[in-house]
Amino acid sequence: MDIQNLIIESKARFNHNQAKQYLKDKYQSKLTFADQGGLWVSSPSLLSQLTSTNDKNLVLLDEYENPVKVDRNILLQKANEIYVSVMEQWHNEWVILEKKR
Amino acid sequence: MSKGLLLFAFNTDKTDYYKMAVTTAKRANHFLNLPVSVVTDKNTDITKYDYKFDNVIIQESDSSNTNVHKDVWINKGRYKAYDVSPYDETLLLDTDYLINSDTLLKPFELYDDFMCHNSTSFLMVNEPPEYINPHSYKTLWATVMYFKKTNKTKQLFECMKMVQENYPHYIKLHNLISGSYRNDYSLTFALRILYGQLEDTSNYIPWNLVHAGKGTVVYKNNNDTFNTEYTVIHDNWKNGKIKKEYCIISNMDFHMMNKSNFMELVDE
Repeated sequence: MDIQNLIIESKARFNHNQAKQYLKDKYQSKLTFADQGGLWVSSPSLLSQLTSTNDKNLVLLDEYENPVKVDRNILLQKANEIYVSVMEQWHNEWVILEKKR
Repeated sequence: MSKGLLLFAFNTDKTDYYKMAVTTAKRANHFLNLPVSVVTDKNTDITKYDYKFDNVIIQESDSSNTNVHKDVWINKGRYKAYDVSPYDETLLLDTDYLINSDTLLKPFELYDDFMCHNSTSFLMVNEPPEYINPHSYKTLWATVMYFKKTNKTKQLFECMKMVQENYPHYIKLHNLISGSYRNDYSLTFALRILYGQLEDTSNYIPWNLVHAGKGTVVYKNNNDTFNTEYTVIHDNWKNGKIKKEYCIISNMDFHMMNKSNFMELVDE
């Protein structure tokens, strides 16, 4: 029996909440990156902090709560590139899963 | 600096762990482009499968441990990884970890000298984090471990050896319900001992280890050798009735707790 028939025969329901959790687990690793001696997760809060000042250098707490002095522009560029690319993939996969019933 | 994977595979009457290691090694070569070495015992017929490991390391196996079903479970001796690994940087993996992406390459960029998972999630089930006991530590997972050969990691693996050799003491100390030896527990105790019972979060992989639990069945969506898309079906009990639920996952690594389901997925 192929998978599609198995789902129909067993009247299995697509679980959207679990699909959301799966996507979060999958893309969390992709948002994580190392730069300038710190470990970062590209997120709206990191991007906001990096755009909230014009200073060349900034001390930020990384994911392991170590203070790291960073070149703001370099980290911002990298964090932004990762965020845009990963969120695009996340959204594309979510759009496909959202249509399942 | 050489990098590679190390797998421990000791066959039992019920499970062909060497076959699982061959499968995991092929997937590691494909998705991670890393060499793979295997640790096994002299009873394993290493000519049975058409795959050449980077190194086959023969060690004495210890069959004194059993799992919760009282089946023999040869999981002792994981501490030997430090001494037997032929690599400067080693990714030590359980054989039932299904690689579907290059995610495992990432920690090689992130870690100093050691990393393991301290957080988990289950496909299709919301499970709370596992603790050694309600008054003890959160369990660390030995399913995926990265290490460089440094003094710290040498001490860590020596400490795991000490825990294994004195496991009855730790059963009493932490009031463990099951007497089965688990590498997860030995790692948890050893890392705590190494840090004076404190916690250093820089030893943790900053995302969840994903498990497919025993009550969940995973089906492959196509028969490609390196298939990466699966349908996960779970029986959800509600008001005394079973409601089947499913989800489709792709390009994500996960740990299969059900060994026979793992073999169904990877049989060609």
